[in-house]
Amino acid sequence: MRIEPAYAVRRVAFAAATLLAAIIMNFLLPRLIAGNPAEMIASQTALGSAEVADAIKKQFGLENDSLLYQFKQYIVQLAHGNLGISYFNYPTPVAGVLLHALPWTLGIVLVSTLVSYSAGWLIGIRGALKPGTWFDNVALAVSFFINSVPYFWIGILLILLFGYKLDWFPMGQAFAVDYDTLSAAGKLRSIAYHAILPTVSLAIASLASHILVLRNNLSRALTEDYMVLARAKGLSARRRTYQYGVRNAFLPAFTGFMLTLGHVVGGAITMEIVFSYPGIGMLTYNAILNHDYPLIQGAFLMIAVSIITVNLLADLIYPFIDPRVNLS
Amino acid sequence: MATTRTDSRQRSGRGKLLAGTLILAFFAVVTLAASQLAPYPKNDIDFESWLAPSGAHLLGTDSYGQDVFSQLVYGTRTSFLVGILAGLITTVIGVLVGVTAGFYRRWVSDALMFLVDLLLIIPIMALMIILASYLPSMGLTSTILVIGLLSWLYMARSIRSQTLSERQRGYVEAARVAGMSNVSVMLREILPNLYPIILANLVSVTTQAVLAEAGLSFLGIGDPKNVSWGTILALAHANNAIMYDAWWWIVPPGLATALFCFGFILIGNGSLERYRYKRGAAQQL
Repeated sequence: MRIEPAYAVRRVAFAAATLLAAIIMNFLLPRLIAGNPAEMIASQTALGSAEVADAIKKQFGLENDSLLYQFKQYIVQLAHGNLGISYFNYPTPVAGVLLHALPWTLGIVLVSTLVSYSAGWLIGIRGALKPGTWFDNVALAVSFFINSVPYFWIGILLILLFGYKLDWFPMGQAFAVDYDTLSAAGKLRSIAYHAILPTVSLAIASLASHILVLRNNLSRALTEDYMVLARAKGLSARRRTYQYGVRNAFLPAFTGFMLTLGHVVGGAITMEIVFSYPGIGMLTYNAILNHDYPLIQGAFLMIAVSIITVNLLADLIYPFIDPRVNLS
Repeated sequence: MATTRTDSRQRSGRGKLLAGTLILAFFAVVTLAASQLAPYPKNDIDFESWLAPSGAHLLGTDSYGQDVFSQLVYGTRTSFLVGILAGLITTVIGVLVGVTAGFYRRWVSDALMFLVDLLLIIPIMALMIILASYLPSMGLTSTILVIGLLSWLYMARSIRSQTLSERQRGYVEAARVAGMSNVSVMLREILPNLYPIILANLVSVTTQAVLAEAGLSFLGIGDPKNVSWGTILALAHANNAIMYDAWWWIVPPGLATALFCFGFILIGNGSLERYRYKRGAAQQL
């Protein structure tokens, strides 16, 4: 029950390589697609003043045509947390705008992931243990249905039902209009109250794949030879199911969990728009509308960094769940 | 008893295949004959706004006074084309990369898969947004290309791992001993055995492509001139359809994606059952 240093080093190196890949993509893609839209980072028209534009051009090495030089400058600026200036929120730096929005997205994404993962686990296990029952069939049908509709559509439907028709939850925003006048506890309550519907929407939208993966894994684990052996040894059904079956079904699902995180974040982008929730997704949407290129790129990088970090954390927790990974 | 069992096994999957094909054929017909099937011309705004469904407007009208049913029919074209074509591009790349990387175990293929593993972590949706927002214009073609060219990572990985295990089997060795070239071993021996896994992936990437198109359109970076199920939802949301209780503007586009994907799932499951029946039940996915 401990982490092998070699394993930890490997995972950290992998995370670093992923980060580098994300940075290179972020640097290269705009330059490859549209000539040199990196200029846009310092576009004069966007920033209003020629002096400011020149200063930023210099910061990002745009006065030099060499890509390598520009990349070096880009990395240097990145290391200082400088992602450029947002056009639309001028003169606020992109990094500041993003850091302001990040907690909202992380909050609903992480909570909804935990909720949907545990719910999917319970439903998937029950389905795999009693395949072919009405419960299993309904769970499967609902899962396939959810997997076949856009994330944001589920959000819109829930707002229509629980926000508009039943008026149980607010129809959008992250806190009440009178937020500033509330006490600390009141603020917290307001935030939680507003977060329920977006979080539940995201959880439902991502529930399906968890159910399918866990059901599939457990069905397979139940047919393994060691299950027969466990039965021959005379272990109780309960012990066989949970300590031999579920335990082994859980392991590959944990890796799947990390892969779906990217999916959930992608879904959260559109979900935030539906709920006018002030996170990275809403920011990206407004940035697209305003052609705020530095902000679009910054948002991409922020999303990548968050996911890489969460993935690394999951990787480092993994040996405590399955000690075998230390060896591979 | 024995005969009825054989009968039901012979028929297994046929019903699903038929139903799935009918659903897709239905969408194909709507795609091809959209202008004949839609009751009103595209972008016709001659009607009163916010009309509830009636005989004249099967799915009511939207805030602009457009017939929602006609929009849905025209939207089918974009969503169908993007789903099918982007799904095919993804499948071709995924199979190509997966099989070659699994078959030739050289450092190149290992490096390629390392890169795939790296990129898998970065959310594809975010990458698509970057690409789509920098492209000078997003037409139908660029939408298809952006989605098709970016979605193959997971598929390549799953095809590769299956290829790796197929490569160990006796029949590959036998084919080699018989003097088959690498390419024919891949195409004529390994590929047919990958059929179930390719099919399962095809179903899921096509579904993903339709949903990705809806997502991009919803973000306002799809093709602005084309109607799609995603743009209908984007407009409905932007014009506060919820406040007007205009469920007829909100519910149908989502159900359309569900039905379309359901058709693919049926075909996928149905032909897997056929495949298992023909090859014996031993084949496990």
